[in-house]
Amino acid sequence: MRRPARPRRLLAATTGIVALGLLLAGCTPAGPNEPAGEPRSGGTLTYASGDAEPSCLDPHVGGNFPQALVSAQYLESLVSRNDAGQIIPWLAESWTPSDDGLTWDFTLRADVTFTDGTAFDAAAVQANIAHLQNPTTLSSTGYLALGKVKTVAAVSPTVVRFTLTEPDSALLESLSQPWLAMESPAALERSQDENCASPVGTGPFIVQSWVKQNAITLVRNDDYVSPPADAAHAGPAYLEEVIWRFIPDSASRYAALQSGEVDVIDNAQPDTIVQAKQSDSIEQLDSPRPGAANRIELNSGQAPFNDVRVREAFIRSANVDDAVSSLFQGTATRSYSALSSVEGTAISNAALFDYDPAAAAELLDAAGWNETDADGYRAKDGVRLSVEFPVSTNQSIPAEQSVFEQIQATAKETGFEVNLAPMDLSSWYAALASNDYDAVSAPYTKVGPDVLRILYHSDSIVPAPSGYFANLAQVNDPEIDALLTTAARTTDTDERSSLYADAQNRILEGFYLLPLYDQQNHFLLRGDVQGLRTLPTVAVPTLYDTWLNR
Amino acid sequence: MAARLGGAIFVLWAVASITFFAVRLIPGDPAQAVLGGPGSQASPEALAAVRTEYGFDKPVLVQYLAQLGRLATGDLGRSYALNQDVGPLVLDQLGGTVLLAVLALALAWLLALALAAWSTRGGTVAARVGSGLEIVAAALPHFWLATSLIVVFSIWLGVLPPISTVGAAGLVLPVLTLAIPLAGFLGQILRESLLAALESPFVLSARARGESERGVLWTHALRHASLPAISLSGWAFGSLISGAVVVETIFARPGLGRTLLTAVTLRDVPVVIGVVMIVAVAYILMTLLTDAATRLVDPRLRSE
Repeated sequence: MRRPARPRRLLAATTGIVALGLLLAGCTPAGPNEPAGEPRSGGTLTYASGDAEPSCLDPHVGGNFPQALVSAQYLESLVSRNDAGQIIPWLAESWTPSDDGLTWDFTLRADVTFTDGTAFDAAAVQANIAHLQNPTTLSSTGYLALGKVKTVAAVSPTVVRFTLTEPDSALLESLSQPWLAMESPAALERSQDENCASPVGTGPFIVQSWVKQNAITLVRNDDYVSPPADAAHAGPAYLEEVIWRFIPDSASRYAALQSGEVDVIDNAQPDTIVQAKQSDSIEQLDSPRPGAANRIELNSGQAPFNDVRVREAFIRSANVDDAVSSLFQGTATRSYSALSSVEGTAISNAALFDYDPAAAAELLDAAGWNETDADGYRAKDGVRLSVEFPVSTNQSIPAEQSVFEQIQATAKETGFEVNLAPMDLSSWYAALASNDYDAVSAPYTKVGPDVLRILYHSDSIVPAPSGYFANLAQVNDPEIDALLTTAARTTDTDERSSLYADAQNRILEGFYLLPLYDQQNHFLLRGDVQGLRTLPTVAVPTLYDTWLNR
Repeated sequence: MAARLGGAIFVLWAVASITFFAVRLIPGDPAQAVLGGPGSQASPEALAAVRTEYGFDKPVLVQYLAQLGRLATGDLGRSYALNQDVGPLVLDQLGGTVLLAVLALALAWLLALALAAWSTRGGTVAARVGSGLEIVAAALPHFWLATSLIVVFSIWLGVLPPISTVGAAGLVLPVLTLAIPLAGFLGQILRESLLAALESPFVLSARARGESERGVLWTHALRHASLPAISLSGWAFGSLISGAVVVETIFARPGLGRTLLTAVTLRDVPVVIGVVMIVAVAYILMTLLTDAATRLVDPRLRSE
């Protein structure tokens, strides 16, 4: 029942070695590194989230990460993903695409009912897709993921057919996300307010009550039968009750964990992770989020970054490695990829991102930025080499904001003036919409490499009526477009991977982005919490296999 | 009385207007905020629907007048972010904050009285220690005090929970955090006016009548000396509510302070205005209460 080691994660491996060392030294009391025995049923686990409290517990509405975190305990999707990145059965037992890729038949489990007694069948799937596609639901994430789904029809009670407008190689990945989870059609018919307060799913827990700004109480679903194919056990969950709390302050969250008021915390910051490593009673779970890596996008749509030499110069002038290792105190691994390291299709190319101020200076000279102004910055025709960098204080944690400051300091040595502007979320969106930025960092979580199409296809430069667009680097390259469009239609796994590899190489070699590290997702837990893992879809924890060794 | 009522209405109008423009005139797109914040990617259709639903597509002045119209009828509107009517939402959270503020005010008074009484009677050393403690206490920032109390009482000693709990134990640290700096302020004022009162002729005559030192202090001098501190309590109550923003966030307590913080971050104008209006009403009520308390303590004001 030990949490599985993740050898590919250097950090996790290091933690393991340290823990092993402590064990050998004989100074660790009975902790989770020793076999904990057979799982025991019962007990209440208190989870403390540092994420914002959702305004709606139904992740169809809106669709953000805080909703995914909690809803994974009571809602389930048609499919899931395993540690190797393969799609595995969940509420759907099997699926068959047609030869032209336009029709998908999903065979559903016949023995599943929602916790309000409604049967889970083809009609229920139909109702859920309709709910997601209905504009009045105000779904964002789920709605976009279903962009190519034209109709959904019940072939039989256990077979549901999706008809697409064009082949979608990301369909299964999209359906695996918690924002597209299945809810009771009877419950969906209630008012949105009611459904937001108590959504009904097929999951191992049931939403019992929600006291805003305090806690959500989840109770065990005793009739539970439908764990995903990679779960560690069958039947109902071990925990009897889960108290889901919101503790926004990082230090209080960790204090509550230390004092035993709570059993698991998320959003653990580098300083607390380092502290926790010295504690015998606290364990760490590091589970990077899928989709895009955290990265700085360089706006290639306007000066100065419309010149590839200036983009490369900026990247070469930024000493990211030192900034990351000192400010994240060894808790984050530097990334050299556009994609998260959990994506099997990710291409990493460290050589493109070497810190090399001399090369940066040469590139700037060649690009005509060879004057020096009174403040020591480079200039061209009297115009200073300035980089406007709006920073969302909601999305960038303090350590990340410090990394940006380090980049600002090292880029200054080469002659870049980086203007960091910390902003609240609305102002930040507004700055992006009005194109008032040269560099920006925006997280994007999605299962699978199709996130590349959203972030780097030229279609995503066209602002929505909102003014928002996802292609913040404003990459506008017909060759990249063609690769991404073809990949999104190619269902053959190898061919698809090779198309995404070509696209990534071209994006990385174009110096459109400066990768930093995976989207950090660290959990800390009391040593007696056993069997906690994250779902390999969007790396939200699942408490289904979790039990308390006390 | 009519003048007072008019004044109160004027204050409420001013509070509503200033808050509305302060929040709305900052550049930013409330529709994006409505649709979910970090990690959500709003579709154009969803954004358009939200714009129409909340009237963001109308000129700011029209939105302002509509807001005032609703407020005048007692309708605080609907939260952009929480999908809830603001009235019930704010009233739901009011209890926790008022409890916190009232307990903190009471404890602050107790601490200030004890310190002032001890330090004015204990000679020069006590006076110095007392005034030193008051200055230090008054200067303590809430976030620092809160974190220190958590480290000492939750982590080192392990006797008090660092977050809100079902029982009363979770209230101790937040109340202490709010009460200690306030006790410093109140103590400074109490002690100064107590010293002045102890020098007054009426104390001399009380002593001459053979009143005990204790009687002199508690029935004569303190009654006189507490007047400035009582009028300060109206202000103190307001400052406690603003302190609640920090304290409720650190101690993960439900309440108005945390509601306000979240609402400001999300540009949730109706909730911000709702909370600020409720706090303004509480302020006005508290001022009326301190007026009444002053009259009660000071008979000279009653005859006027």
